[in-house]
Amino acid sequence: MTPLPTSRPDGKDPLRRLVEECFHREAGLSAPLPADDVDLIESGILDSMGWVSFLRTIESASGVGELGSDLNDRAASFAAILAALQTGGSRASGATRDVSPRPISKNGVPAIIPGSSAAVGSRIVPSEEVDRAFGMPPGKLRGRAGIESLAYAAEGENELTLGARAAQEALRAASCGAQQLDWIIATSETHHDYPSLSAQLHSRLLLREDCGALDVGGACLGLLHAFAVAESLIRSGQAQTAAVVTADVHSRTLTPARVAGEFGGLFGDGASAFLLRRADSADQGYQLGDFLFGCAGQYAAAIQVNDTREGGLDVKFDGEALSRAAITRLEKVLAAVELRSGIPRDSVGSFATHQPNPRLVALLAKQCAVSPKKFPPIARTYGNLGSSTCGAALHAALQDDSNRRQPIFLASLGPGLLFGGGWLTPSDWTHTSALRSV
Amino acid sequence: MTKLLITEITRMGPAFCVIGLQRENEKIQSIRPLPSFANGWSHFPHRRGDILECALTPFSGVKPHVEDRVSTRGFTRVTTVPEAETVVYLRKSELAQSLPDLFGCAIHENKKGSGLFAIPRDAKRSICGCETQNLRLELCANELRATLALSSGEVLRDLPVVDRDWRDFIDAALAEGRGANRTARLERFLNSDFHYKIMSCPHHFIRLGLTRPFHDLCWLMLDTLFPLPKHEWLQEF
Repeated sequence: MTPLPTSRPDGKDPLRRLVEECFHREAGLSAPLPADDVDLIESGILDSMGWVSFLRTIESASGVGELGSDLNDRAASFAAILAALQTGGSRASGATRDVSPRPISKNGVPAIIPGSSAAVGSRIVPSEEVDRAFGMPPGKLRGRAGIESLAYAAEGENELTLGARAAQEALRAASCGAQQLDWIIATSETHHDYPSLSAQLHSRLLLREDCGALDVGGACLGLLHAFAVAESLIRSGQAQTAAVVTADVHSRTLTPARVAGEFGGLFGDGASAFLLRRADSADQGYQLGDFLFGCAGQYAAAIQVNDTREGGLDVKFDGEALSRAAITRLEKVLAAVELRSGIPRDSVGSFATHQPNPRLVALLAKQCAVSPKKFPPIARTYGNLGSSTCGAALHAALQDDSNRRQPIFLASLGPGLLFGGGWLTPSDWTHTSALRSV
Repeated sequence: MTKLLITEITRMGPAFCVIGLQRENEKIQSIRPLPSFANGWSHFPHRRGDILECALTPFSGVKPHVEDRVSTRGFTRVTTVPEAETVVYLRKSELAQSLPDLFGCAIHENKKGSGLFAIPRDAKRSICGCETQNLRLELCANELRATLALSSGEVLRDLPVVDRDWRDFIDAALAEGRGANRTARLERFLNSDFHYKIMSCPHHFIRLGLTRPFHDLCWLMLDTLFPLPKHEWLQEF
């Protein structure tokens, strides 16, 4: 078992630091920290809504669920929270568990990404042409969404060819033979055929017969779902090497004949692929940290897509509500990733997030108070690539020499509203590196 | 004189907030009678289902609490209607199928932690009924919270439950005289029998409300949950 850190380079108890950071998020940065035994409600520091909100933030940041339940019959104090975090963590793991923010919090050997790639449809179409095709005034996609062009699959290109191309390049980048793969995990929001995409990729890449092939869903969140599965397989020792592939060809699903208006015009076609390998001391590459996931069902009605009996698509798309939800939720996910990883956002090299459109990415950067240059510009040139947006952004971040030694944050969303986040750190990265870089 | 069918009695700190239904021709609308000196009643001896005669000023309150009316005299009970019939009338008053319909405005998520809120100037009312697909009550750090799914499939989490009868029921369930492991027993009840009793009840219905503006935001809360809790349920856990 890997010994877990109990203190941080700044010398502060990590649990206390997490509670204090969450308290300041709820009560404001200027609020003085109360003594441990002060009842936050009785003293009027927080009202009952603020108290529950504070606890939910801690639950999200620590990964300890049911904290509120553990605090029934206890005072609303720091002391009670710290005690409940200790006992809650112990109950969850059956042993003493450190819930402190850290890069690696699970048992087993972590996974690294030694190779990655991305591919987009080879037909680059100016957004004005797409405006016209979808019955919108020319300039709308550029003006309102910030999309300059879209990548569409050419004849002969589809999810399989784009995904296979990306996968082969990722294998080549990692100097890894296809026969070394123990699993291929695919995700796509547009490929609904059988054999499934992972099975088709398995055949196309000529993988070993005993290499597993698995498809996971989640639409634009699919990449993070696939990473979480692949990382678990590697960490548990069931796999040494796994490939994660995303591929989405929207241009044949969201056609002007099936979807009218702005919604259909936002999407392009692309794929991404990542090789994940069990880390050993000699490996160089980015190491996967923890993941956090959830579903914010209050936004479920903002986007819904159903097949109709006539073969069309019934799209319910409340663009304004979805934009608001996307920004709010991505910001919350990034804040939770920051708390859980212990990595300050200032020291993050890139944010590989979902990019509904470039305008929202700029807004997200502003809300998070980070430079928009830290978000690789995918949607501006290629459009929203579905599950491949986050993948293409991550590949771009991994290729960027300027942030080679800095962590990368991941965050994405899917209809539901599903959300997820995670982080990657260079294999030789430590928290001290973060303190140095801030 | 106005006749009000009392549908909501909520606990708001030390005071009670009361809402009733008023029929005007064919329209049934919610009215919140207030004392002239405060936003709540320190003592309200009536029950849900009571029809009370009262005198109210005709001026509506400021958005979103447009249901507010100042009561200029005391209340006189005329009669009482059964719980199921109260819900029949509630279904004929303000009703929403989806989140934006609830208060006629966008509902926002708390960026820092949990909870949902409306912007006071955007909201067109402060009380609304809704059909639910599912509902869960939980004790979170001694606070009663509800999570529910609307018929549209939208999920609302961590709503404070301010319904007086349900809060009284929880207090009674946790009273010291009820023996050991009270919290755990209550949680077990809320996770099992409660669900069956509430969701299978033909007159299951909830109403959501907005708090008074607090730091320029009105927070969502669960005002009323039908069926009301039965005292004999306490014997079951």
